[in-house]
Amino acid sequence: MRISLFNVTATIEHGCRGFQKLGSSSFQGETARLLGAFSQIRAASGPSKGLLPGPYPQTPEERAAAAKKYNMRVEDYEPIPDNGEGYGDYPQLPDRSQHERDPWYSWDHPDLRRNWGEPIHWDFDMFIRNRVDTSPSPVAWRTMCKHLFGFVGFMLLMFYLGEKFPSYQPVAPKQYPYSNLHLERGEDPEKQPEEVKHFNI
Amino acid sequence: MADYREAPLATRPKTLDPAEYFNLSLDQRRAEEERAGLRAQLKRQYQMQLNNPHRKELIEDPALTRWVYARTNPYNHFRATKKTSLLGGLFGVVPLFVLYYVLKTDRLCLTP
Repeated sequence: MRISLFNVTATIEHGCRGFQKLGSSSFQGETARLLGAFSQIRAASGPSKGLLPGPYPQTPEERAAAAKKYNMRVEDYEPIPDNGEGYGDYPQLPDRSQHERDPWYSWDHPDLRRNWGEPIHWDFDMFIRNRVDTSPSPVAWRTMCKHLFGFVGFMLLMFYLGEKFPSYQPVAPKQYPYSNLHLERGEDPEKQPEEVKHFNI
Repeated sequence: MADYREAPLATRPKTLDPAEYFNLSLDQRRAEEERAGLRAQLKRQYQMQLNNPHRKELIEDPALTRWVYARTNPYNHFRATKKTSLLGGLFGVVPLFVLYYVLKTDRLCLTP
């Protein structure tokens, strides 16, 4: 499959190997083969295949190469566990937000608190200083959860009970004067209204 | 600095962590030096490009390129496992049926 567009060169290197590797699964084989075919096509500009993220490293040599690629020490490099969710060989970095980094160090990008070339966390866009903050909280997280959900749960329970067992002053049906508003209700003025007794003395 | 107390709502700096401050083994020190070496090399590369008077283009960050590529191409390494199939079904298949049922039996027209 060659697509000749301006500035795009189809590289079918390892294409056959890719097909074989992907074709091992049964139902996913069809779609995976197509996807695999497309993933081999890249523009000639940009980084080479060795510099881009790849599949999960199986051998120690692949690990060392991946560590070198990501500018990390071989001992520090730990790929995200392979659970099929598509992380490949991307490193697992500590889940610490950029809020926690030293504000006084001379970062290359001070607003992001990051140096050039430093490996980026998978969820970096979540951990920027406008968003999620993993700094220590004033009270432990579990205590905060307990307090909040305890209070909300208690209020919900009490309102529910209040609906089930209402409590108010005793009430009676409304008592109207003038023989139960005989004339106002539009009844015959000549007719004698029936006597309604509201009380007993 | 041994009596440093943590500032509220801030992580303790790495340099003031007592585990790293006292009783450092040679291996740990070597590891720290290697990391510092890597950092220094990256800093040097960046500064050379930044202060190059003949540079006319943007400084490209390969770490950023890799991150963007990894985030936009997860399906290259996707595998159908129990968890991924469950998630795919839960987010992609179930809402179709649920929404169909809910919208069909909306309160204005109670019959589907």
